[in-house]
Amino acid sequence: MGAGKLRIDLDGGVFHPNTGYFPDLLRKVSPVQGVARSECAPIPGASHGTTILAFHFQDGVLVAGDRRATASNRIMSNRVDKVLEIDDSALLAISGSPAMALEMARVLDHSLKYYRRSQLTEISLEGKVRILAQLLKENLPMAVEGIGAVVPLFVARDPESRIVRIYFYDILGAHFEGVEFSVGGSGSPEVQGILRYLDRWSPRPLREMSREEAIILALRLLETASYFDSATGGVDSQDPIWPVMKILTSGTLETVDEATLSAIYRNEVMRVR
Amino acid sequence: MFDEPYRWIDAIHQRRDYIAEQLDRATPVIGLSVSEGIILASFHRQNPKIYELYDRIAMGGIGHPADLETVRGILLNMAHVEGFQRSTSDVSIERLALFGLAPRLKTAFEDVSAPPIILDVLLSEVGRTQSEDRFIKVSFDGNLERSVDRMVLAPTEETAQKASDLLRDRIPRGDRTLREVVGVLSDVFLEILFTRDERGLDESGNLINPEKLAECQSRLREERQWEGVLLDRKAPARIKRLNETGDLCL
Repeated sequence: MGAGKLRIDLDGGVFHPNTGYFPDLLRKVSPVQGVARSECAPIPGASHGTTILAFHFQDGVLVAGDRRATASNRIMSNRVDKVLEIDDSALLAISGSPAMALEMARVLDHSLKYYRRSQLTEISLEGKVRILAQLLKENLPMAVEGIGAVVPLFVARDPESRIVRIYFYDILGAHFEGVEFSVGGSGSPEVQGILRYLDRWSPRPLREMSREEAIILALRLLETASYFDSATGGVDSQDPIWPVMKILTSGTLETVDEATLSAIYRNEVMRVR
Repeated sequence: MFDEPYRWIDAIHQRRDYIAEQLDRATPVIGLSVSEGIILASFHRQNPKIYELYDRIAMGGIGHPADLETVRGILLNMAHVEGFQRSTSDVSIERLALFGLAPRLKTAFEDVSAPPIILDVLLSEVGRTQSEDRFIKVSFDGNLERSVDRMVLAPTEETAQKASDLLRDRIPRGDRTLREVVGVLSDVFLEILFTRDERGLDESGNLINPEKLAECQSRLREERQWEGVLLDRKAPARIKRLNETGDLCL
């Protein structure tokens, strides 16, 4: 019946309301999408390095990432954006397999919009965090086969309290709040150590840093990571290629422009001796 | 029952009349292009009728709320799946109307053995410039009507013409701002919904009974609720709700 096609969403007498969960819709229209499943063998050496970081400072949270994508010992690109704006209150920093991570970001972006438009209300912060957890869980087969692991950082503003929070995940989708900072990627051990040291023993904790101090620190951290980790791209001021750096506060989301990065890098990071 | 052509045609005529009768009391939805984007505005009694569909795209509908909700769901799904599988810029009201909604509405309308869909839909798409803004009206029988600059979704031809004439007189074509337009819209709705006599005007349009006019203004807001949105040209990923004076509602 024509009207039936329009009107009814019944299956065996059970009513299925629209839950606003976008991956369910994708699975319905295209079973190969939405759930990542792999039938192929792992590709030797197809590991993907990177450095992403997020930390609290005086105004909010700074999120930064290098621009390099690698496959084994090959540099695939030095211009990858790893800090992505999901909406005006959420950022996703990606490390791991670029294909899966970028796809996950697109699904998350569409999921939040789809939820808002279909359910006529904003999804809660916990809801956003859970959607990403679900996507990671669904990606597990790719992750365990060694070809599609994704380990993101998710930074979002709570719509109620306006507080910005940092979350980090494991490949199974477990999520935890990074109270002061979180890091990800192959270059993260050095960065994590420095952030811990500074937050604990520097004259002022990270949360008391000014905006400029936060940008200087992020550039120095990425420079340090690239010094030890070949899969992390450093700053190429000749080309020029700058890291992506975004700041989420209780009211704004801002990308630090290249002119600012360039000036601070020259004065505070290069320090030609 | 409908195996003879005459009976089928007769049934279709009755169906058309029945739907028209059901739509008769609906308050129109007006779509207007302004320099900031597209404004969709109406007054509703119980249920909202203007919704965000996708980046750059919004819809308004008059008819049965349940049918509006069903059609909204179909369009939302189609837009989001297309936008995800291809690109957000590949989603257009032309594709949604022509390939998504119109064939379904026509099929539903012509299936006289099933309950009818009581709904007319106005789709709007904001462009990069005012000249790129688009409107498409999809009727309950699947017919399409396209427009630029402005469009009125009304229950009858007579109301649509009246609203179009009022808009033509009050709001000139070309460059205009949100503030200029929204200030005029409430008066336009007042004139659409109440007769000259009810508004205390004589046959020449002179106000002879201000109390009657005040009563109409009061009734408009007591019986109905203003609904206005802006599809913002500069930030098209999220519609903005407007109050009656054109301020953004937070």
